Amino acid sequence: MTDRNRILLAKMGLDCHDTGIITVAQQLREGGFEVIYLGLHNSADQVAKAALEEDADLIGVSFLSGQHITQVRKLFDSLRARQLEIPVVCGGVIPDDDAKELLGMGVREVIRPGALTEDVLAGVRRALA
Amino acid sequence: MERAEQIKESVRDSEEQVFETASGIPVEELYGPAHIEELELDEALGAPGDYPFTRGPYRNMYRGRIWTRRFQVGFGSPRESNERIKFLHRNGANGFVITIDLPTSYGFDSDDPIAEGEVGVTGVALSTLEDMRTMYDGFGPDSVSYALSIRPPVSSVSLAMLACVAEEKGIPLEKVIGTQQNDPFYQMSGGPLQTTTRFFPIEGTLRLCIDNIEFMTNNMPRLNWMVTNGYNLRETGVNAIEDGAFTLGHAFDIFRMAKGRGLDINRFPKRASFFLSCSIDFFEEIAKFRAMRRLYARTMKDVFGATDLSCQRMRFSVQSAGNTLTTQQPEVNIVRAGIEAMAAVLGGAQSIHLCSYDEGHGLPTEESSRIALRTQQVIAYESGVTKTVDPLGGSYYVEHLTDKIENEINAKLLEIEEHGGMARAVQDGWLEEQINAARYRNQRDLDSGRKPLVGVNRYTISQEEERQIEVHRIKADEWGERRSEYLSAFRKNRDAQQWSDAMSHIETAWRAGENMVPVIMNALRNNATMGEIHEAMRNAQNWSFR
Repeated sequence: MTDRNRILLAKMGLDCHDTGIITVAQQLREGGFEVIYLGLHNSADQVAKAALEEDADLIGVSFLSGQHITQVRKLFDSLRARQLEIPVVCGGVIPDDDAKELLGMGVREVIRPGALTEDVLAGVRRALA
Repeated sequence: MERAEQIKESVRDSEEQVFETASGIPVEELYGPAHIEELELDEALGAPGDYPFTRGPYRNMYRGRIWTRRFQVGFGSPRESNERIKFLHRNGANGFVITIDLPTSYGFDSDDPIAEGEVGVTGVALSTLEDMRTMYDGFGPDSVSYALSIRPPVSSVSLAMLACVAEEKGIPLEKVIGTQQNDPFYQMSGGPLQTTTRFFPIEGTLRLCIDNIEFMTNNMPRLNWMVTNGYNLRETGVNAIEDGAFTLGHAFDIFRMAKGRGLDINRFPKRASFFLSCSIDFFEEIAKFRAMRRLYARTMKDVFGATDLSCQRMRFSVQSAGNTLTTQQPEVNIVRAGIEAMAAVLGGAQSIHLCSYDEGHGLPTEESSRIALRTQQVIAYESGVTKTVDPLGGSYYVEHLTDKIENEINAKLLEIEEHGGMARAVQDGWLEEQINAARYRNQRDLDSGRKPLVGVNRYTISQEEERQIEVHRIKADEWGERRSEYLSAFRKNRDAQQWSDAMSHIETAWRAGENMVPVIMNALRNNATMGEIHEAMRNAQNWSFR
């Protein structure tokens, strides 16, 4: 693993709480990663398409308004339709049970509020390993 | 704990104390008469209920009436939400914050493909006049007060829905009560740039904001309307001074536009109100509220020329700061919300809503909402702080800090003015840069421990020791399906000709520059939906996002 892994970050659906993901983008850049942030309101297809075009090594998505299960399921469908096997990391306000469900669906790491920069970087490195 | 560790901890505490407020104002060891020497106290404070309202917007404050403790309601369908409101009403509540779901927040019908997985999740879905009728089932809009969490362009449709419901119930519009939120920029959480420009042109959004003010001023004089949602802005991470300046700067911009429309400055601001955050830095937040009231009064009088006292009086509702809460050791959040509520009360808030302790885990449950309400009731009925007006007035520190913060906010307001106003600052990304700088700063301060956060960067416990938290379960798929069936039947049963006439009238009226609220009322009566009305308004501006 090189330190210049490309990470694609995106908010999906209509949720617009972006403080977490914008902070994470900066943390990752300072941690030596190359970060592409797609902004708000992306569909699963848009994220998968961008991941392919940008040759992303990892996808990070973040949720605060309760849509994480639906959106992540759609994201995996879109990735599978393109035969992409890119690790997905999920961040945000996610209940314990849902975090387990997301991990079961194939999400590599769930990063939740209160994570300090070292936790975020460690989670992403684990997901890339 | 070992004794050695105890000593280590206390040494560490004294070493790491930072003697400044959260916004970076230095705090001295002791304050005394010298710190308020330059303040003309009579002029700077005035009497409560009188210019410049530093000590409170009303003469007797909480002795006259305890602040409003609003219940937040809204999930799933209008029927489910109405049943919940009826239950709470039977138990003594008469004021409600109605949260709406994200599709409705952006003006989409529940069956729009973009709404998939989001229907009814964060609030109630409102797509038709019938939906609003259901929300008011059993109540008149002259007897219960709803504050809809909404923004233009969507608030023009919800306002029109409210007016139609009043009309159907035979209630004169001038008797309708409640709060119409009407902030075009800050309503959606997060940085405002993308949220305000993604699905509707910003010029159209601003026009509808002023249409709403005009319509309410002329027809619904008892309806409060929220000018600025400073809360959501503050939640992005900006500090108390930026909060004050971005909130007031935005309000003054809107007032200038309303004045430009020919509205009377001694009339339209009478029912204007604000929604503000109360963060954890106790004295800084109290001083912020007092400083904002004074600065508002001075600006309304000196800059806008308002002579009517009620147009110089700033009133606000407060929510405790969600971004001060932690996911770790969540019960500790009850204490944080309690401190914030106390600051809001000592700062003179008109209405308070406290965050539930489990917000870092998911949507609040009935249990956690009840604890948040009980916290307020302890302050209101047990603590005794309500028994005299502005009990901190005259405190060397509080008056000094109030003055300092007023000056800092004023300086920031000048910076905004030099930049061309808040609308410009949102559109060219200047505000976004300020917000992002604050976000990085906060994270750095948390990482380094400069900003202590109990349970996160000190006094942590292991994951295994954390208690499992029950959270509110959502049924997004089920709600979405039911709403789609409802809307499909709704569209089938309406008179196609009348609907199509009303729809084309939206486009012609938009182009003619008419006030859109009565036009939208007509469309709603002819069974146009929320999504269709927005599509017609986008078409009228030759604008599309799809």
